[in-house]
Amino acid sequence: MHTQDFPQLASVEHIEKGFESHGYICSRKIATAVFLSFQLRKPVLVEGPPGVGKTELAKTTAVLLETPLIRLQCYEGLDEAKALYEWKYGKQLLYTQVLKEKLGDLLQGATGLAESVERLHQFGDIFYSEEFLEPRPLLKAMQQEKGAILLIDEVDKADYEFESLLLEILSDYQISIPEIGTVKARTTPMVFLTSNNTREISDALKRRCLHLYIPFPTVELEERIIRSRVPDVDEQLRHQLVEFVHSLRQLDLKKIPAISETIDWARSLLLMHADKLDEELVRSTLNVLLKYEDDIDTTEAEVRNLIQSSAADGQSA
Amino acid sequence: MQSNLVNFVQVLRTHDIRVSPAESLDAVEVAASLGYSDRSLLRDGLAMTLAKTPEEEVIFLQCFDQFFQQKLADFANVETHDEQEKEPSSAAVDDDAQEATDFADAQVSALEQSAQDNPMLEALLQTPLMQSLISNDRNDLTLAMNQASEQVGLQNIQMFTQKGQFTRRILDALGEEHIRKAVIELEQADSPALPILQRYRDILREQVRDHVEREYLIQAEGKTQQFMDDILSKTRLNNIEHVYMHKVQALIRKMAKKLASRHSRKRKLLKRGQLNMAKTLRKGIPNDGIMFNTYWRQVRKDKPQILAVCDVSGSVAAYAKFLLLFLYSVQDVLPKVRSFAFSSHLGEVSDYFNDYPVEKAIELVNWKYGGATDYGNSLLDFAKLAMDDINSNTTVIILGDARNNHGDPKLEILQSIYQRSRQVIWLNPESRRSWGSGDSEMKRYQSACHFSSECNNLKQLERIVDQLLKSTR
Repeated sequence: MHTQDFPQLASVEHIEKGFESHGYICSRKIATAVFLSFQLRKPVLVEGPPGVGKTELAKTTAVLLETPLIRLQCYEGLDEAKALYEWKYGKQLLYTQVLKEKLGDLLQGATGLAESVERLHQFGDIFYSEEFLEPRPLLKAMQQEKGAILLIDEVDKADYEFESLLLEILSDYQISIPEIGTVKARTTPMVFLTSNNTREISDALKRRCLHLYIPFPTVELEERIIRSRVPDVDEQLRHQLVEFVHSLRQLDLKKIPAISETIDWARSLLLMHADKLDEELVRSTLNVLLKYEDDIDTTEAEVRNLIQSSAADGQSA
Repeated sequence: MQSNLVNFVQVLRTHDIRVSPAESLDAVEVAASLGYSDRSLLRDGLAMTLAKTPEEEVIFLQCFDQFFQQKLADFANVETHDEQEKEPSSAAVDDDAQEATDFADAQVSALEQSAQDNPMLEALLQTPLMQSLISNDRNDLTLAMNQASEQVGLQNIQMFTQKGQFTRRILDALGEEHIRKAVIELEQADSPALPILQRYRDILREQVRDHVEREYLIQAEGKTQQFMDDILSKTRLNNIEHVYMHKVQALIRKMAKKLASRHSRKRKLLKRGQLNMAKTLRKGIPNDGIMFNTYWRQVRKDKPQILAVCDVSGSVAAYAKFLLLFLYSVQDVLPKVRSFAFSSHLGEVSDYFNDYPVEKAIELVNWKYGGATDYGNSLLDFAKLAMDDINSNTTVIILGDARNNHGDPKLEILQSIYQRSRQVIWLNPESRRSWGSGDSEMKRYQSACHFSSECNNLKQLERIVDQLLKSTR
C-alpha cells in the first residue's frame, strides 16, 4: 500500500480524525501505531485485556481504508491447511477420473514407453497449479490486488509452531508453496495481530512487530467512546456510569468489565429510560457488566458506596 | 541525533531490554517518519519498536525520560537560576535575559575589582577554565570536561559508588583546586567577591556531577545490576538479606522464564494402531487413490506430574520458599505441580498456590506447617495423601536436610515411592560433606533416590530445574 493511495493515513492526526468519524475513539498512541505500521510496513501486535477494542481497531482500519478485512481466528491445533492454503483434493480426484479417457487419445501413436512418458511430461504439473489451490486467509490476504487488512486474532491461542509459520509472511510478505514456488504479496497488506497474553509470544515474532498495548481507557476517553457509540445517553448519566465502571475496575474481580461491557450497559440503561443511576437500577443490570456470579456477589455489597462516590465525582466534575 | 539514538539503545540494553540491531534500525526509521518535534509522539513511537512487553515499556519510559531529559538540559539556565527564583513571573523573557547579563556583568566587574588587590585571584581569572565559566561558554566547558573525563578514564565507571570519586578527579583535572584555594583566601580576607566566586565554583561542580551522572547512566547502571544478579545467584539462599528478597524473586522469575522458553515445546507422539483415514486418503490422491503411504493419528504426550515435598522447618524454610517459587514460575511448561509442606506432619498446600500469588502462598505455608521436623511421620502422611497418584509419569522432589531428630526414618515408604515413580529427587541444602553426620539420615534416604544433590544457591537451583525439565519429557 502506498501513501498517496491513502490520504486517510497521511499523519497521526488524520488517523485520529478518521477513526473518530467511524465511531472508534482512540488514544494518540493507537493512532501512532497505525501510522507507523503503514509507514514502515510492519505488522502491529496489539495486546491488552479482553474487550478494549483490539479487534475493533483492525475492523475500523479496514472501514477507513475501504479495503477488505481478512480475518484469521487462531485456536489450538490451527495448521497450515487452515491458515495458508490447501489443495482442492476433491477437484483433483474428479479431474483425474474424468481425464482418464483423454489419456488414450493423448498417447495414440506413441511408440514405446519412453515416448509416452515424454509426451506426458509436456503437460507439466497441471494438478498442482493455482486452479487447484484453495487459498486460506493468509494466502488470500497476499492475493488481494488493492491490499487488505489482515487480522490474525488471538495469536496466543495458536500453537508455538504456528508462530514460526507466520514469520516468513510477516517479515517478507510472501508464502512458499513447495509445489508452486514463492507467492509474493501483490500489495503489502496491513497486518494486525492480537493477543490476550495467555502465553508469551516468541521473541522472533515480537521482533517483527510494532508492539501496542491498549490499557483500559481513562475516564475522559471512555466518556468520548460512549458518546460516539451510544449518543442518546444523557450527559450526566454518561459521566456517572463511566465513573461507576472505573471504580468497579478497582475492585478485585475475576473479569474486569471492559469498554464493550460499558457500551452494552449504557445501551441497556438507555432502553430502561434511566436518567441517573440508583441502587435498584444498578443491581438489576449488573449482569450486563459482570459475567461471573462471584463478581456480582462481591459487587452487590459495594453498590451503594460505588454509586455515592461516582455521584460525588459527577457533581465535582 | 542518530548517534544519540544508538546511545539510547545502549542504555536500554543495560537495563535489560533486549534490542536487536534490526530493532535499532527500525527505531531510526520511526524517528525519521515521526520527526523529533513532538516529544510524546516520538516516545510512543519508539516504545512500540523497542519495548516488547508492558513491563519493558515501563522501563523504557523511565529510561527515555532520564536519557533525553539530561541530553536536552540547557545549562545556560543555571546561570540565571537565582534571578528566576526572585521573579517567578518570567513572562518577559527578554527582560530577564537582559537583567541576567547585566547581573553577570556586575558580578564580573566586582570580581575584577577585588582581583586588583589580590594577585592570586587575578591569576585565577586568567585561566581558561574561569574564562569559560565567566563568559558562560558552554562549548568550551563541555570540551574541557570531555577531555578531563577521558584523562581520568570515566568510561570505565562501573559502580554508582564511584560517581563521587570520578567527579572529584575530573574537577581536579579541570583545575578546580585553584578556585577552591581562591575561595579559602577570599574567606580569610572576608572579601565581598566571595559569594560570587563560590557561585561559579558551585556551577562548575554541578556541571561535572551531571556529566558523570550521564556517563554512568550510559556505561554502568545496567552493569551494576548484572553484577548484583550474579552475586545474588551465587550466595547461599539463607544468607540473603531480607532487603534483597524482591530482587531474588525477580531474578528467579527471569531464570524461570528462560527455562520455560527453552523447554516449552510440546512433544508429539505417534500412536501406532490408529489410522488417520482422512489424511491417508488425501495423501493418496496424487497416486490415483492408491493409499501408498499410511498416516497415523498423533497424540500429545501427557504432561508430567510433579510432586514437590518441602521441609518448612526453621533450618530449611528459606530454601523451600525458593524451590516453590521456582517451580510455580515454570508452570507454563510444568502445569501439574502439586506441593506438600511438612515439619512434624505433612499437608498438601497446592490450593494456597492456586488461590494466592506465590509470595503470599509461601508465607501462609510457612505459618501453617513450620515446627520441629519428623520425617517418618511426614512420609507416612505423604503416602496416605498421594501414594495412589504416583505413577510412571510422576516426579517426586523432596527438599529437606534429612535431619530427623533421631526418629524412625521410615525408609520403606520412600523405597516404595522410588519403585512406583518415574524419579525421586532429593535436594539437600547442606553440603555433601555433612550428609549422614549427627542425626542426618541423608545417606539412608539417598539409597532410595534416583538423584540427590545439594542445593543452596540460585545457580544450583536453576541447574536442577533445568535438568528436571529435560528429564521429565
